[in-house]
Amino acid sequence: MTTGGIGMAVARRDGPAKVTGAARYVADTPLRGALHAVVVPATRPKGRIAAIDTAAAAAAPGVVHILTHANAPRLGRVSVVLAEDSLPPLQDDRVRYEGQPVALVVAESAGQAAEAARLVRVSYHEEPFATDFDAGLDRAEPVATFFGQPLDTAWGDFDAAWAAAEVRVETSLATSDRHHNPIEPMGVFASWADGALLVEASTQGVSELREALAQALGLDEARIRVRSPFLGGGFGAKGWGLPHQLLAAMATRVLGRPVRLVLSRAQSYTEHGYQPATRQTVRLAARADGTLTGLAHDVVAAGAFVGDYIEAAGWDTAPLYATPSLRVRHRRVRLDRLSPSAMRSPFGGVGIPAVEIAMDALAHALDMDPLALRLRNYAEVEPGTGRPFSARRLRECYEEGARRFGWADRPRAPRSLRDGGLLVGQGMATAILRAFRFPAAARVAIDRNGHVHVETGSHDVGQGLSTILPQIVADALGVPVDRMSLGIGDTALPRTTFTGGSSTTMSVGSAVQAAARALREKLADAGANGPEGYAGALGALSVDRLAADGAYAPEGDEAAGPALFSYGAVFAEVAVDPDLPVPRVRRVVGVYDAGRILNPVTARSQMTGGIVWGIGQALLERSETDSRLGRFLSKNLSGYLVPVNADVGEIDVAFIEGDDPHASPLGARGIGELGGIGIAAAIANAVFHATGVRVREFPIRPEHLL
Amino acid sequence: MYNFAYHRPSSVAEAAAALAAASEGKLLAGGMTLLPTMKQRLAQPSDLIDLGAIADMKGISTTGDGVRIGAMTTHASVASSAEVKAAIPALAHLAENIGDPQVRNRGTIGGSIANNDPAADYPAAVLALDATIQTNKRTIAADDFFTGMFETALEEGEIITAVSFPKPQKAAYAKFPNPASRYALVGVFVAQTASGVRVAVTGAAPCVFRASQIEQALAGNFSPSALDGLTIDSSGLNSDIHASPEYRAHLIGVMAKRAVAAAA
Repeated sequence: MTTGGIGMAVARRDGPAKVTGAARYVADTPLRGALHAVVVPATRPKGRIAAIDTAAAAAAPGVVHILTHANAPRLGRVSVVLAEDSLPPLQDDRVRYEGQPVALVVAESAGQAAEAARLVRVSYHEEPFATDFDAGLDRAEPVATFFGQPLDTAWGDFDAAWAAAEVRVETSLATSDRHHNPIEPMGVFASWADGALLVEASTQGVSELREALAQALGLDEARIRVRSPFLGGGFGAKGWGLPHQLLAAMATRVLGRPVRLVLSRAQSYTEHGYQPATRQTVRLAARADGTLTGLAHDVVAAGAFVGDYIEAAGWDTAPLYATPSLRVRHRRVRLDRLSPSAMRSPFGGVGIPAVEIAMDALAHALDMDPLALRLRNYAEVEPGTGRPFSARRLRECYEEGARRFGWADRPRAPRSLRDGGLLVGQGMATAILRAFRFPAAARVAIDRNGHVHVETGSHDVGQGLSTILPQIVADALGVPVDRMSLGIGDTALPRTTFTGGSSTTMSVGSAVQAAARALREKLADAGANGPEGYAGALGALSVDRLAADGAYAPEGDEAAGPALFSYGAVFAEVAVDPDLPVPRVRRVVGVYDAGRILNPVTARSQMTGGIVWGIGQALLERSETDSRLGRFLSKNLSGYLVPVNADVGEIDVAFIEGDDPHASPLGARGIGELGGIGIAAAIANAVFHATGVRVREFPIRPEHLL
Repeated sequence: MYNFAYHRPSSVAEAAAALAAASEGKLLAGGMTLLPTMKQRLAQPSDLIDLGAIADMKGISTTGDGVRIGAMTTHASVASSAEVKAAIPALAHLAENIGDPQVRNRGTIGGSIANNDPAADYPAAVLALDATIQTNKRTIAADDFFTGMFETALEEGEIITAVSFPKPQKAAYAKFPNPASRYALVGVFVAQTASGVRVAVTGAAPCVFRASQIEQALAGNFSPSALDGLTIDSSGLNSDIHASPEYRAHLIGVMAKRAVAAAA
């Protein structure tokens, strides 16, 4: 019997609902007499509110209420991970960033609220502001810790290695501010009844949002339920404790009626975070044979005066290569902007490309094959600590990727490959992703008809959670996936951690597996030897339904165990029309080691999406700031380019499979963000190979290649 | 959500009268720019005079020396017109690549040139082909029509009724579109006419302009090689999030060559 268990190519369960329009997002929530709220954003980046004239807005048709700092309830302090970076809305007259909510207009219809929001007149006592990252580089400050851990890394004596090196390479990389741009803008629907708050929100963290709401509103968590019904993409944008979420809850509590608030596309650029720009320098010291003697990675990241987010771009540099000396340092320039936040493939996704471009430059300086250089410096144990790696199959990724791509046929010299009038280039890079794992709980139940229900609070942001969880249960129980239903995205369900850090399969998947195995044991104890005996077991127990709980938590001291990472080798080919000269990606081969692959369809889809994401990073995505006005210039998808099908060539994804028992009971590792790491460097290196131009900025634009 | 008076006249004279009577009237052609502008409250006309019901302003006819296109003719109609394809295929090709299908089925030639967006395609064709703009008051030569960014020689109350294009000996349009909007980052229309070579550039500067440097280079030798080594001065060209002036200058040379190659 085919059950659709682990490793089976089960089609995405959310697919039909999405493509037929049946999927119900927050903005589709039935109205039930709800009011509509629209945020009035600050138009200045810094200063104080001199006055807010709400007379015209209050007199506009349909307007029910207008909240400003003058009449809004005071909020409690929020101390929830990442939510701490948000500024609590409407608490005082200070303006700290352009787009900060300064009023909330609530009306009977969405149109009325939008129109009245335009009529709110805000005057400011403006103050000098700083939004120009490069102008602030001289006041960059060190950042010591990151989620409570030391951020910077060093071993050996890099300065001595650099001074004594036979070959030295120094490269820089400037990355741009990037916005997440999920196709579904964030929305929240809040209702207050009988002293309890019900919130539907497009969020990647129902539990964290509930916690933030409880702290902000001074409510017991037990009186708050948060649901996240269906997400139209998240990529890290869909956080918790964000100003608009607190505002909607505040409004429904004040007014006693349900309130819906959906951000506009333009507001999606200022009501939640973005990936901040960085300025990075990498220095490589090496012997003439390519053996690294030192690696230094210096990161300066743009930050905000609001919040403490730091783009830890050098965080995954250390485990890349064996080197006797290393120094990774981070600094931050605070700006008068809203806080940046994690965006798909944060940290290493931003920083690994800087190192991988430097490695390409070193290979060029040595006239060495770039892949051979990486193999020369292959790390057999975790550099710096000497810890063993848990199941590192990066070498196999390199070999299989090179084979699939035809890397051996690549001529080494830049500008040596042509296709008609086009310059063709081939580049490669390494991907590495730290394993994040978080506590999670789940419940699995079976009824006498053999129907299985799986419950966990986690979310499907499109990554495939709702497809793989039934597969995990099918594996444990022997019940086919089409006899299962699933409940997710709800604080009424067993608690999990936010969806982020490519942690969900390992964490939530393992909790579900534990629950399913516990249920199987209960059934076995009641006499069931297999699926055929389940109904009988329930009968023997005289119950219609039998449930079991499961949980997962990372082991206590992670540093004591082996080093846990996912890996990949990415190869890209670009073609550049020398007249224009626009680089276009023709094909990409990505071979990954993410432990055990639970579903080859969703896994491949994840990696393909990540590769497309990297194409955007390398060639298209850039939010420019108007430093005169202190705001992002183009808050729309016309001025902010994202990759479309025409920008994406052939993508070939493969996995080097194998269990990683240390990463999770499932043997699987994190996968979601892996595809977005390394690809941008592979493209940049291919552009160098095609044109001979080493671009030091993302996105690479035609101007750079003139 | 604000009120305005909506008029749908059936003749040019009625439209002119409605416009004259309005305190702040605006003519509505395809509405591809005006309606979004109104939604953003950047324009709040008291009266909207919809030209869509005026039969006289639509349609394409062959004239003695070319084609006459009614001001309310959509881009899609021009793109698929047998008359235009026969007389000036470059013009049909240009219309075929404006915006997206929705824009091409709503947007009109009259609306496009009256708006004179710096990155619009049609102004390049009108200027390079030495077209004549007919209004309810007079005819205006292309060289006199486009006066600045979003500015034209049209006077208060003046309505474009048609554009007449003389048939060139050779012509072609090459554009480098913005990947998202399909507006011209740079578009170059080249035409070899009885009176000489005319080259118009759109997208690159605040207003469409004739590239005299390129015209002179092509005057004696209408071939791509005539433009080899030509350097376009970037001063005065647009700088924005999409491209630098230097890149636009470079693209003018590349697009001009490609247009000449396509025309030859």
